[in-house]
Amino acid sequence: MFPSPHRRPLGRLALGVLAATATIAALAGCGSAGNADDGTTEITLSMQNPDVESADPATWAIVEAFEEANPDISVTVSGEAVSEHLQKLSIAAQSDTLPDVFWVYKSTAEEMQQAGKLLDLAPVLDELELTDSFPESTVANFSAGDVIYGVPYQGLLTGLWVNEKILADNGLDVPVTFDDLVNVAETLSAKGITTISNGANQSSFSVWSFLVDLDRFGYEEKVDGILDGSEQYVNDDFLRLYEHIAELRDAGAFSSNVSTQTYQQAVDQFTSGNAAMLDAGVWASSAIQDSQIAADTGFWIGPQFDDGVGEQHIVMNVASAPFAVSATVAADEQKLEAVKKFLSFYYSDEAQQIIVDNGQPPVTTYEPVVDAQAQSALKAALDASTAEGVTSPQSQPDLLVPTPVANAMYDSIYGVIQNQLTPEQALELVQKALDAEQ
Amino acid sequence: MIWVSSRWKILLMVAPALIVFTAFVIYPVLYSLGFSFTKFQGFGAPEWIGLDNYVALAADPFFWQSLQNTIVILVVSLVVLIPASFALALLLRRRVTGGGAMRALVFGPAIIAPILVGLIWVFILDPKIGLLNRVLGFFGFAPVQWIGGDTLTPYSVALVFIWSSIGFAMTIFYAGLQLLPADVMEASALDGATGWQQLRHITVPMMRETFAIVTILMITNVFKIFELVYMLTGGGPVHRSETLVSYMYFVTFTNQQYGYGMALAVIITILGAVVSVGYLALARGRKQPA
Repeated sequence: MFPSPHRRPLGRLALGVLAATATIAALAGCGSAGNADDGTTEITLSMQNPDVESADPATWAIVEAFEEANPDISVTVSGEAVSEHLQKLSIAAQSDTLPDVFWVYKSTAEEMQQAGKLLDLAPVLDELELTDSFPESTVANFSAGDVIYGVPYQGLLTGLWVNEKILADNGLDVPVTFDDLVNVAETLSAKGITTISNGANQSSFSVWSFLVDLDRFGYEEKVDGILDGSEQYVNDDFLRLYEHIAELRDAGAFSSNVSTQTYQQAVDQFTSGNAAMLDAGVWASSAIQDSQIAADTGFWIGPQFDDGVGEQHIVMNVASAPFAVSATVAADEQKLEAVKKFLSFYYSDEAQQIIVDNGQPPVTTYEPVVDAQAQSALKAALDASTAEGVTSPQSQPDLLVPTPVANAMYDSIYGVIQNQLTPEQALELVQKALDAEQ
Repeated sequence: MIWVSSRWKILLMVAPALIVFTAFVIYPVLYSLGFSFTKFQGFGAPEWIGLDNYVALAADPFFWQSLQNTIVILVVSLVVLIPASFALALLLRRRVTGGGAMRALVFGPAIIAPILVGLIWVFILDPKIGLLNRVLGFFGFAPVQWIGGDTLTPYSVALVFIWSSIGFAMTIFYAGLQLLPADVMEASALDGATGWQQLRHITVPMMRETFAIVTILMITNVFKIFELVYMLTGGGPVHRSETLVSYMYFVTFTNQQYGYGMALAVIITILGAVVSVGYLALARGRKQPA
């Protein structure tokens, strides 16, 4: 006989179940958010950076300033890399547990809005008298009929940062036309210098300057037709652009390790003085300002094409992917008020100046104060974007199409840069993605 | 009669594992299978589209490229990894000074997270800044596109996979060798068998089960390779170096085509099961006495 062991396992099992239940209950308690016992209201802000404090200091500083001004509201900031962030949002949307305020791609926000997951911000913006604070195109970009499903997170001012010293040392001027750019690439390539620093590894989206070029070949006029199927991405105008990208590649404009280099490594390549240009946006101004090349760096809006379509003197200066607010926020009056206060603060002149102080352009019509010495890189970009005669498209091309099509656009451009696709194949790749969406 | 002898008690003991297995393995697999017949963006109602995702996969050149890359990695890994790890186990079985340290060194890469393994090898294989091309350059050779091109990348991924897995496979072989009965070896030695004859006619046949275990483990691990590709090339250029899993990740989470991604996941599961079961059937067939 084995008297005691008969009961011990069941007893232990029961204890185990009790312990597990207690642990789950405790964790469930930890997970609750909203109105805390101390009277503060908690709102959650979910971002597309794993480390918001260091990767997005502007947003971090705004949150800190907001909490200081509103001690009765706490903002819990979380962040993941873009893919993980979007993945989490999808899962949360299914269970109606979206963060209160979150960064999201425009196309995903549109789908969420159609699924009833987002708060209509039109009445909120009207109540806060913010609607007129944004450029008209920004509001139009994030609207579906009368519904406004998003508000601008940061400005998207993109182009090519230029190390003017490298050009000058090699007897070159900052290019104006595409032919000038090819000449720069050929000259620098012959001396083993990379002209345009890019990185495709884990950052295939880093083709901002070429997205502007799409607008120099009539993208904005064509996009509605492309989306409804009445026009094709495979067209003679775009083909000429992709052939120009191939020309640049053949002129040795890109780094030999563009496939394995990440975007961050591309930035490092430029800021360490090993490339003449960096394909990026105004968000890189802080990194440039902190580097030794800050004094030599200018901002170029990109080449003008003799065979382009429409306006060539353009710069991409639009709202980036938006902030959206979960529809569930409306169910909690206190939380809704807290979110309104947060939005009101975010688009106040004070917060917009914080954005500028952290190297980003304002997203409202606020005219910022920029320190010409300490923020020379940012000033160069802002000056270039407001130069006489320079206009901006309404939106960046990839933000107007579904996510798989946007990814196909990135692949098509990098495919030509990396000599993996002919211009014709590159166009077909995007067209195939468009066809799959229709 | 011992406590676990009655059927309901056995069922009671098995139930927790069965419930967990059903909840975390069976249910998600069936759930994914269901989504593979839909168009689903991750939220909202999935739209039933029947076999469209599978038809689209058949016409997707990146799927075939990722399948080809996975097969290349699988074949190279099995052809090199199994013999090499077995040979290492044979070498390290001998009583030599520092044998323990050697075994620990060989096993070392197996305990490094795959994402770090990828990071380490980027700095070795990168065509511009990598150590390997610098060494080649020192000796006057032209740089080679070890990663980032469309030819050598799968072989480079296989190499890194072998490097990171060889210690683990070696350890299993080493444990198997330790379990071989010493008296059989002694008897064969007394009968005049050479070392090669002992290896060929005694050690390898008696290690058949161990070979099967290691092979199945390596097959399933190859079908799970993601981090190495993610770190080395991100799947590029233009998906030329994707494996099945890395491409599934791209489709599902970057493109947010959950239905299409689940169809790919189903194909990966079937392929992994077919290759593993196929190998086991082959191994058992060989084992059957004539």
